[in-house]
Amino acid sequence: MESPNGLVCFTNCLLPLEDGSLVEQDLWIDERRGVILDAQRTFFLRRDRPARVIDLKGNILSPGYLDIQINGAYGFDFSVFDGDHEAYRQGLKNVAEKIVETGVTSLVPTIITQEKSLYPTLLHLLRPYSSPSSATMLGWHAEGPFIQMAKRGAHAPEFLLKAEEGLTSFEKVYGAENLAVQEDWLMACDPNSDSVGVRIVTAAPEIAGVRPAMEEAVKRGVVFSIGHSIASTDIATAAVVGGARLITHLFNAMPQLHHRDPSIIGMLGASPHLAQLPTPFYELIVDGIHSHPNSVRLAYTAYPEGCILITDAMKILDPNLKDGTHEWRDGKRFIKEGDKLYLEGTDTLAGSVVTLDKCVRNFTRFTGCSLGEAIKCATYNPARCLGIEDKKGTLRAGADADLIVLDRKGYVQSTWVKGRQVWTRPHTPLALKQ
Amino acid sequence: MRLIIRDDASAVGEYIGDYIAKRINDFKPTAERPFVLGLPTGSSPIPTYQHLIKLVKAGQLSFKHVVTFNMDEYVRLPEDHPESYHTFMFREFFSHVDIPPAQVNILNGNAKDLIGECDAYEARIKAHGGVELFLGGIGEDGHIAFNEPGSSLSSRTRIKTLAYDTILANARFFGNDISKVPRMALTIGVQTVLDSREVVVVVTGQRKALALSQAIENGVNHLWTLSALQTHPWALIVADEDATAELKVKTVKYFKSIERVQEEVEAMHAKLKDDPTEPEQIGSME
Repeated sequence: MESPNGLVCFTNCLLPLEDGSLVEQDLWIDERRGVILDAQRTFFLRRDRPARVIDLKGNILSPGYLDIQINGAYGFDFSVFDGDHEAYRQGLKNVAEKIVETGVTSLVPTIITQEKSLYPTLLHLLRPYSSPSSATMLGWHAEGPFIQMAKRGAHAPEFLLKAEEGLTSFEKVYGAENLAVQEDWLMACDPNSDSVGVRIVTAAPEIAGVRPAMEEAVKRGVVFSIGHSIASTDIATAAVVGGARLITHLFNAMPQLHHRDPSIIGMLGASPHLAQLPTPFYELIVDGIHSHPNSVRLAYTAYPEGCILITDAMKILDPNLKDGTHEWRDGKRFIKEGDKLYLEGTDTLAGSVVTLDKCVRNFTRFTGCSLGEAIKCATYNPARCLGIEDKKGTLRAGADADLIVLDRKGYVQSTWVKGRQVWTRPHTPLALKQ
Repeated sequence: MRLIIRDDASAVGEYIGDYIAKRINDFKPTAERPFVLGLPTGSSPIPTYQHLIKLVKAGQLSFKHVVTFNMDEYVRLPEDHPESYHTFMFREFFSHVDIPPAQVNILNGNAKDLIGECDAYEARIKAHGGVELFLGGIGEDGHIAFNEPGSSLSSRTRIKTLAYDTILANARFFGNDISKVPRMALTIGVQTVLDSREVVVVVTGQRKALALSQAIENGVNHLWTLSALQTHPWALIVADEDATAELKVKTVKYFKSIERVQEEVEAMHAKLKDDPTEPEQIGSME
């Protein structure tokens, strides 16, 4: 159903604002251009008003969620490339099309440590991608290989590297064209659009050469995230001075909080009066397993403005998948039990399978914050961390009309990409609802 | 003149909202013959706007064939400034009702030629055949639109310097910083208001009590510009109890006593208007 003049008004809804509040307000979008409108300017200057009005019946109209760390979904693993470019692209497309049911409209595919020759190809394949009916692939998040052996987690130890030549080491691994200055990189990706694109590198700042390499990469527009690291407080602080603006899955793959040297986690407690430094953003996996609810609340209370919810999900992520045994790779198998994922025959956690919309709901329970404040941690905060808040993760005039309709409990009712509805909750008998 | 007294501001808003709705619906406006409505800004008309919005959402009223003219706008305040009257009207009213944007008229305080803008505004009102009903509010000093004390009672749309009282009163909207309050505004004149076929004024709150008494119990005086309404043939003031605090008991009793025949008068008026054999008659029961 198209609007005769291309303008759509969402009414009778609550809008989450950038301060975490929810206010009753209409939202106007231009479905042909796929952007959010400044309603007042449209009315007085363009002398137009939406011909189509959609009554959201008191539901919440939020910017679509951003997941900036996700390893795969719907059976596709971003880190697995078997040489077939077309199959890989098809896999990406499949994830982008399906993931909108979880409220995610933008994601940053994350690849764990690889054999180094694979990077240039993988990162090239992961250049920003969007289509009219799917979530936007914002770019890539390279988790490794410049990480700490002692905190490698599931990363293959034989592929971990040092960066003794600084940026040159980075370029040799990731490929020089993938680390080009932001404008050049974006131009090379898609010269015809004003698309947004982001690059995130998770690295351990104590690894030789990482900090000087990052200082250069940051100048080129790469987001430096501290993770898989045993950095002391001093080293973590130096990394932030050098431009690090994110902490990868806080609490996981890093030293636990020690009062005499609080290390990476302690960065959340840095006094803004003493250091004159920005406090870095931090990612939280809010499945109730990877971080205890108390830890989630502790971090959020310390620094609410920097909180970013992620799934860090494995390829098995699929809200429609039943509990039970599933194939992984190399003959290994998973046991899925709700949001828990074990390697078959062990009690080792094999990653996360939680969806981001569930993380948001969990987050309100764990921290006691409002749904509006939880939404902010999956929209505005990640967008601000990546510097794309004019385009994604907000309801600003001119931003992409990537929207989700949530009920008052945070369940996704429908998803919109660039002003078009791409998913709507199938009607289910009440008893079957979550 | 009629004075209607209601218990509180929301009851006043409901009364005026219903009244305007009835006027518009009785008028049976069409694209060729739209209803021309004058509108104010400020806190007093908000309950009226809210009630009108409710009526539109309930399907009992439409602004499809209504043309509006606003009273005033600050000079050199960006149109999208949170305190501009463009912003106010959009936020409080226009965004919620079905009025086509092309039928909305607000003075442009950022026009290069401000005098030309004012003259063109008057001409536009004339071109629409004049205002059918002008809704207004008043300031504590009895000003209607930005026609501050001392304004000529035969004034028309023009540039106006704001009185110090008004600047002080408005400072609360500009972070309590007097230096940020605009010093000038474009406003329709007292005569522009008087030219409309009907005037309805909302007066609520005790702070407006003195102005109300000066406007209706004393003579016509340019120091209380609302008092010019005494010369208008078809004027209605709707006040809440608080705003009557300075009125004489006799005044209040008189207006309360005539309210109950109002419906009859209106019915009679409608009949006279519909029947071409009767001589044209406008005005209330006086």
